[in-house]
Amino acid sequence: MKAAYLFTTFLLLPLAETQAKPLSYVGGTMVMQENDETGHTLTIDYTFDPHFALGVYSKYEINERDNFWMVGPTLNTLIKRWNLLDGQGNIFNMTGAGMARQGSRNEPAAWTTMMADYETRRVFASYEVRFMSARDIESSVWQRAYLGVAPYLANYDQLNTWTLVRLDHHPAKHDHFVVTPVLRFFYKTFWLEVGYSSNQHVMVNWTVQF
Amino acid sequence: MRHILLTLVALTILSGSALGETINTTVNGMVCAFCATGIEKTFRKQPEVATVHVDLPKKTVTITTKSGRTLTDAKVKEIVTYSGYSMGKIIREK
Repeated sequence: MKAAYLFTTFLLLPLAETQAKPLSYVGGTMVMQENDETGHTLTIDYTFDPHFALGVYSKYEINERDNFWMVGPTLNTLIKRWNLLDGQGNIFNMTGAGMARQGSRNEPAAWTTMMADYETRRVFASYEVRFMSARDIESSVWQRAYLGVAPYLANYDQLNTWTLVRLDHHPAKHDHFVVTPVLRFFYKTFWLEVGYSSNQHVMVNWTVQF
Repeated sequence: MRHILLTLVALTILSGSALGETINTTVNGMVCAFCATGIEKTFRKQPEVATVHVDLPKKTVTITTKSGRTLTDAKVKEIVTYSGYSMGKIIREK
């Protein structure tokens, strides 16, 4: 199953033209890949309107009973943005539906995420809650929050660095609460996030915009 | 005669590559490198635009138009809004 996911990941990657935020600019494509204690995620989306991006979401989920794979189209919506003099606030929704596969069993799956963030040049905070249902395979609610500061202020064409703490709450998992200290790096259209969680998993996430 | 022709060709090339107006605008909400990329790319797509420079600490975008071309304030605002941000003050230099 993992081999099938990785095969799909690398099959899709060359087709991509990414996730700090689930939308980029109109005509822009984002590829986001996440690897953490919950599994491996690949998202490719295309922003076709200042408020909407359409993409494909795929995740190989590490589950206590049996790992599973899910894939399907997703619609990312910018519900509200506040453009402030020194900051920006957003509310997003990401909703999708597709298939989940565990062993030889296939089930329809659906998911929706509400996310809010606030960012200045110095401070970043976000909160998201995600509902997922794949019938008997898994139905869960999951929450995530980030809080971070930029230790220095860099320009657009320089390396931007953030130090953050990520808190995950997964009632369906063995470790309900997971804390991950994170280092985030931005360089123009490249974004890399690395961390090591309280349950001893390495996290590596990256995003590219085209 | 040959020198005159070469001078005329050089002047034609130089005038063609000369830049037009410099427009400097502040952008509210532009706080990250990804935001800046979106704005830069959207401006670069405009046929009137020759160069775009983003200054993230100052939250400004400086656009230089092609010779004989301009972008109205309304058009600059439209592009900034379409990129997902809001426009602050605008300053023009010929």
